[in-house]
Amino acid sequence: MTNKIRDILCAIIVIAFGAAMIYYVKDVRRVIRTDVGSAFVPTLIGWCIVVTGACKLLYSIFTHMKEESKKIVFDQDMFGGIATIILMVLYMIAFQPVGFVVSSAVYLFLQMLLFSEKSNRKIVLFAVIAVVLPLAVDALFVYVIHMPLPVGVFGF
Amino acid sequence: MIASALANVFNPVCLFLIWAGTVIGIIFGSVPGLSATMAVVLFLPMTFSLEATRGIALLVGLYMGGISGGLISAILLKIPGTPSSISTVFDGGPMAEKGEAGRALGVGILYSFIGSIMGILALMFISPMLAKVCLLFGPAEYFSVAVFSLTIIAALSGKDMLNGLIAGLTGLALSMVGMAPIDTKVRYTFGNYQLLNGFDITVLLIGVFAVTDIILAGFGRKTLSQHLEQKKYQLKGYGISFIEFIQQIPNAIISSIIGIVIGILPGIGGSTAGLLAYTAEKSRSKHPEKFGTGIIDGIIASETSNNAVIGGSLVPLLCMGIPGNTVAAVFLGGLLVHGINPGPLIFDKSGVYVYGIYFALIVASFCMLIFERAGLRIFAKLLDIPKHILLPIIMVMCCVGAYSSNSRVFDVQCVLFFALLGLLFKCFKIPSTPLIIGFILGSMFEENLRMALQASHGNWMIFIERPISLSFLVIAVVFCTYTVISNLRAKRKAELEGKEYHEPEEGEL
Repeated sequence: MTNKIRDILCAIIVIAFGAAMIYYVKDVRRVIRTDVGSAFVPTLIGWCIVVTGACKLLYSIFTHMKEESKKIVFDQDMFGGIATIILMVLYMIAFQPVGFVVSSAVYLFLQMLLFSEKSNRKIVLFAVIAVVLPLAVDALFVYVIHMPLPVGVFGF
Repeated sequence: MIASALANVFNPVCLFLIWAGTVIGIIFGSVPGLSATMAVVLFLPMTFSLEATRGIALLVGLYMGGISGGLISAILLKIPGTPSSISTVFDGGPMAEKGEAGRALGVGILYSFIGSIMGILALMFISPMLAKVCLLFGPAEYFSVAVFSLTIIAALSGKDMLNGLIAGLTGLALSMVGMAPIDTKVRYTFGNYQLLNGFDITVLLIGVFAVTDIILAGFGRKTLSQHLEQKKYQLKGYGISFIEFIQQIPNAIISSIIGIVIGILPGIGGSTAGLLAYTAEKSRSKHPEKFGTGIIDGIIASETSNNAVIGGSLVPLLCMGIPGNTVAAVFLGGLLVHGINPGPLIFDKSGVYVYGIYFALIVASFCMLIFERAGLRIFAKLLDIPKHILLPIIMVMCCVGAYSSNSRVFDVQCVLFFALLGLLFKCFKIPSTPLIIGFILGSMFEENLRMALQASHGNWMIFIERPISLSFLVIAVVFCTYTVISNLRAKRKAELEGKEYHEPEEGEL
């Protein structure tokens, strides 16, 4: 993606966001006569976002931009990034039903495996950390801080 | 009264509690996902059984340690341990990358101490005067303060002001989620009752600053092991020479004053103080282009001001019962639990405890200076943990931190939402810091605007008819114009010299 296309895309998203902001408070009515109402500030900010987005769009279209020679981070390892996001999504979905200890242990192990290379991949160490850390954190929260973390279907 | 307070604080049990509170606070402050607020909240029930001065002394230690501890992860991991340390990352991160992590930490600790002491002095000697000024503030003045604070977005936006503006406005927009102030009308919840109270600032910070970086590490995982080899440091004393110390005196004084003033103004807090002091020092500096590349000036500005906030935030808290920030709000709860009612009569009714707080703060500052420095090698060991192991552990701690802020899984899921928002910002080269500033100031901005307009029956002239409000608005306009002109001049100068204009911004650190 070139810088120009990136900025145009960004401007379109910003304008859409601002418009949505204005749209979703249109039904909020004023209840106090001397007050500007709860829709006033969001609408004002929404319009500011739309105007800023429009300025960015015009600036992006009519300005010549130099392309950067530096490779941006997203292009380096797409698989690693997407897999990390998927792992996080699964971890957060499992956090409540599976429980903190089990979900964290599985997440930790898989994430360490994903981040490591063949040369520094120590499966046994990863497994030990993945089991010990969630247990230690859970014990700290349950017995010292008295703030239980989600236990899940397994009961721990 | 003073003698009784001295006797209450300077006894072995109380001194041990201050020490323990400071060390635990440093640990809570340094670990991303944990915070000073969390430390004070978690240990508050433990103080119930203690005598009032001892209980408050423990809370004071936790507060002091928690705020200062944030600099450790800000420098070593480039992840602010507490919101107050956001601006420490700007120069602390690059210094650590250059192998000067030890020096950055030493300087940070020393100036945290100096900022704390300045804040305490202000609390002790200037508090009655400042409290009187604060009593003159109404909604119009607070609105103008919010506008003034928002203008720093312009200064922090680096080379692309439009992107900075987009980030700031997005932050303001996010703060509008949930029940509106004054009439509690529900906005942008889409039927989700968990959004009624809006987003939690801790969750936003964890998502945008910590988890986004972990996702980015996934995109650049092949370079994770390369980063480890660059991390080396040496440290003597506090990493600063006598000459440098003398040169930094104006920076420390200005940053302390900013921290104290911001601390006194309710609802702003250490993060804004750090950012304001950083920006002020950058504007004042003869070499602003070096800011963000790893110089001690930025760390000194940030750490001095965010620690000066502690003393400042206690001024309205003790004199008027108004907390300056979240930790101060929890601290207020601690005072009430122990039967100490803040207000103009506190010096008459609970003078022993007030002086006890002063002495406890001073002892906690020295504990922080000595033990944070002494334990530096242990904290620095964090660097030796391989990133492919450390980052997943931080992720788990972030989730725990998000969960424990309100004991709900929804906040954990919000962390991912904000992480993806942070990723989108990185993709579009939009800086993240204005987003945070917009979010922090959003509710203050709206609430005071509406209250001021209600009080004036819809007359907008109220903001320029009141002298304090007008002063803040004029400063805001001057500051913003000056920043825009400076940036344009720098851009034009760079173009004339045939170079590409480049100003370091936090997104690039």
